[in-house]
Amino acid sequence: MSQKKQLSIKSKTEELSKLVNWFNGDEFDIEIAIDKFKQAEKLAEEIEQDLLSLKNEVRQIQQKFDGSVQ
Amino acid sequence: MLQNNQIFSVSDLIAVLNQTLEYAYPSVMIEGEVSSFKINQGKYVFFDLKDSTGSLNCFMSIYQLRMPIDDGMKVVVMAVPKITAWGKFSLTIKSIRPSGEGAIKKSFEILKAKLESEGLFALDRKRQLPLIPQKLAIISSVQAAGYADFIKIVGDRWGGLVMDVGNVQVQGVDAPDQIIRAIEYFNSQEELPEAIVIIRGGGSADDLAVFSDERLVRAVAASRVPVVSGIGHETDESLVDLVADVRAATPSNAAQIIVPEKREIIRNSKIQVSALIPRIITTINEQQRRILEMLDGAIKTINISIDNKLKDIEYYKNIIIQFDPSTVLSRGYALIRGKQTVGEIIEVETINVIMKAEVKDVSKKAA
Repeated sequence: MSQKKQLSIKSKTEELSKLVNWFNGDEFDIEIAIDKFKQAEKLAEEIEQDLLSLKNEVRQIQQKFDGSVQ
Repeated sequence: MLQNNQIFSVSDLIAVLNQTLEYAYPSVMIEGEVSSFKINQGKYVFFDLKDSTGSLNCFMSIYQLRMPIDDGMKVVVMAVPKITAWGKFSLTIKSIRPSGEGAIKKSFEILKAKLESEGLFALDRKRQLPLIPQKLAIISSVQAAGYADFIKIVGDRWGGLVMDVGNVQVQGVDAPDQIIRAIEYFNSQEELPEAIVIIRGGGSADDLAVFSDERLVRAVAASRVPVVSGIGHETDESLVDLVADVRAATPSNAAQIIVPEKREIIRNSKIQVSALIPRIITTINEQQRRILEMLDGAIKTINISIDNKLKDIEYYKNIIIQFDPSTVLSRGYALIRGKQTVGEIIEVETINVIMKAEVKDVSKKAA
């Protein structure tokens, strides 16, 4: 579950970067800029909510590393 | 049970004495100074271990030599005492490590120079860490304070991360091999972690010498997964630190390096979005200015066109005036109507009068 959400944070962060690059690039078009801006605003809000709600998962490996046969 | 007056063969006595030694001292730890150190056939290591009054013969395979050893170095050995078939007392060394700051430093410097010459510490070998990792492998002792610090700081900074922890000894003779096995374990996983973090809190030079073990350093160098070292304090330097893709000064610093700070990411996202607004406003203003400029240009063009048309009209008006018969008459000319034949009556019009006249003569003008 958290892994899925984590992926979502990564993809949302990348999506936000793409939008920012679009605003700074040659493809910028004022006709659709407002829609793109609203998308960016929504992504930033979602990134904040996701990051504040997620916890890390610590899993101790069962494998012994002392050289004993398992 | 030995019988009084029992007669042994030489070999039997040696065997009995070895049995007794094995029972009484299966393994001993001894500290002493190395002398007459030599390696035979690239496989067998011989040296004497001595102090101010005693000396013991030592033997080991080169495989067990994990750190450079040289004459004059103080070392701690784990050994099995034994009497050889030739009746000589000898220690079969199971492990050896430099002891004391001077010996550790000397061994460290020898191995450092050797590995450096092989290019193991070269900057172009260093790999980048993922900006936003999703899966990490941690190699540490879960009882260590440095491990607890690392987990806590990672938790404060980031969420949604999966950390697989390989619990190993991080000090003592067995520590290097356990860490090597953990590195190999994580490197053999079907789904590789994005980085391996080796964690250990502060300790004495002896404790931290584990992380300058040659085979461990080579295992870190051979790892398919980038390795981050977070070992000891800021001033401590191990060979694992030098060979790692990223060296953190402490376990806490490793946590700061390996994951971004979520509040910083949130703040940056907001800044990025806010920074888009000026671009929109600037573009609207630019387009407005361009439209106004175009309108201004259009008005100027229209005005010039109107002026030109007015000039044309004036010009044609003047031409028309010149062609007006009354203008010609006003200059003294007369207008004649009727047949220009002798005896015919014609009408003559001047600026002021219209009169009738008879044609008396008609002759052609000379050309």
